[in-house]
Amino acid sequence: MNENVRSSSYRVGLIRTALYALMLGLTVVTAFPLAWMVLSSLKTPAETLRSPPVWFPASPSLAAYVKVNRVIDTPRSFLNSAVIGGVTTAGILVTSLLAGYVFAKHRFTGRNALFSVLIATMFLPPIVTLIPLYRIIESLRLDGNLAGVILPNLANAFGIFLMRQFIAAVPDELVDAARVDGASELHIVFRIVAPLVTPALAVLGLFAFVYHWNSYLWPLTVLEGNYDQYPIVLSLSRLLSYNRSAINTNLVMAGATLAVFPPLMLFILLQRSFVKTVVETGVIG
Amino acid sequence: MRGSPRTWTILLLSPSVGLLAVFVFIPMALSIWLSFQQWSTQTPFTAAHWIGLGNYSEIFGYGPVGRDFRQALANTLIYSAESIVVILPLSVALAVLLHQAALRKNHILRTVLFSTYMVPMVAVALVWSKLYSPAEGPINQALGWIGIAPLSWLSSPDTALSSLVMLNVWQQTGYFTVLAVAGLTQIPTTIIEAARIDGARGLKFFWRVTLPLLRRTLLFSGIIALINAVQVFEPVAMITQGGPVGSTNVVTYHIRRVGIERSEGGLGSAMAMIVMLILGALVSAIFAAAGRRSEA
Repeated sequence: MNENVRSSSYRVGLIRTALYALMLGLTVVTAFPLAWMVLSSLKTPAETLRSPPVWFPASPSLAAYVKVNRVIDTPRSFLNSAVIGGVTTAGILVTSLLAGYVFAKHRFTGRNALFSVLIATMFLPPIVTLIPLYRIIESLRLDGNLAGVILPNLANAFGIFLMRQFIAAVPDELVDAARVDGASELHIVFRIVAPLVTPALAVLGLFAFVYHWNSYLWPLTVLEGNYDQYPIVLSLSRLLSYNRSAINTNLVMAGATLAVFPPLMLFILLQRSFVKTVVETGVIG
Repeated sequence: MRGSPRTWTILLLSPSVGLLAVFVFIPMALSIWLSFQQWSTQTPFTAAHWIGLGNYSEIFGYGPVGRDFRQALANTLIYSAESIVVILPLSVALAVLLHQAALRKNHILRTVLFSTYMVPMVAVALVWSKLYSPAEGPINQALGWIGIAPLSWLSSPDTALSSLVMLNVWQQTGYFTVLAVAGLTQIPTTIIEAARIDGARGLKFFWRVTLPLLRRTLLFSGIIALINAVQVFEPVAMITQGGPVGSTNVVTYHIRRVGIERSEGGLGSAMAMIVMLILGALVSAIFAAAGRRSEA
């Protein structure tokens, strides 16, 4: 009996160790491309060309980070990215909160039909509307302009869907009581409902900001050639194409490291509440 | 300020409905209309003139226009299918691992897995193009250690498209893993206990209990993975430019080149319509298949 207990706890320990080893291995493999990116940014151009590859630079140097600024205006690119990400996110939060509230708490004919039609746009790949949308932005004279990048993205179906899901869980009695007390609908949305759905707003905000910080197709289409409006992600393509004859892998990797840093940091800061909300509700898009 | 309920409904809905109308529904309607027109993207919409099914017959015809588009379409479908076939099983396996009681408190793998989803695809493309580098890249070096001859990855038409699938897998698997963990968390403990009492263990437990209960999550994940995969653009635009010999030309890249860069707006819109119809049919088919199985 005693033998049995000992051998089974030995087995549990063995399985536990194996699981941890597997997890550690997977973590290293997953993180490897990012590690390679950072390591390459610290190498000399000659080291990035060595075959077989050099893993660790002999004397790590930040020279590539300095040189990035001679090809692109890094602070300006970051500012452009922050404006695109920030303004778009703010717009999405407001429009989604308002529409989500109406779909969750107002009753009107055609509500479900309208909701379904709006949600259907989630399934629409951007390329389907890209050509006429580009022409519309051009005829509004917003091409080459950050406003042209931002304006079409200020509302989106996923945001409306997410906010409706969360606001539906707010008790009707709370909303009705506020109405009886004479609160306006705007007061109810911003002062009563919004504080109760902050985790959902945080998830939506993080998703929207990262998505629009990272986006490429639409900003490229609107801004093409207008370099001082380029967000950092677009500026990376200029690092790549600058001086094809020179070896500039370290330069490109330094630029990529800079571009990756803000969304990754934001995620790591917010990830506890973020993953918790996702895992607990299963609502995510 | 207390308007009637109806007024408030309209007022609060108008920002999002207005924006989606102007920037999604009207462009959508224009795309449908333009697909029957001869129209240059550099001219106003009023300059378009009706050519009926002209654009469509060119797309389905034997000329280079049709051939290139159909290749882009086939490449996109292969890319999407390979992505889904790898990402979904992998995400379920990782979710089951993360959900093990022994590991549930340890979040490092979950954090690292999910963080790749936050990395801009442009940066993913740049980094992987270096990882794949035939002589200077670490992937071929690592293959060499275990005695595998170097592969050509992005430089051969046989392997380039699947190499791009790997980028997608690396970037997106963590996201679908978190979705699958959410699905596992929602399985009621009573069901798990009942199955355990019935003697279901290990793999049998997984096939008979876990997987059927994850069906809704997997349906949802499959559709999102499909829609994401159809949009692949950055690695093609940044690294391969559709090559070698058209093997990585995909629909978003191709339609943008036709409709924006070459300004053949009518033709590009017709191609966009084909993409939309095929995607709509695939999504409906996935829903229908899932619905039939849950009835059985």
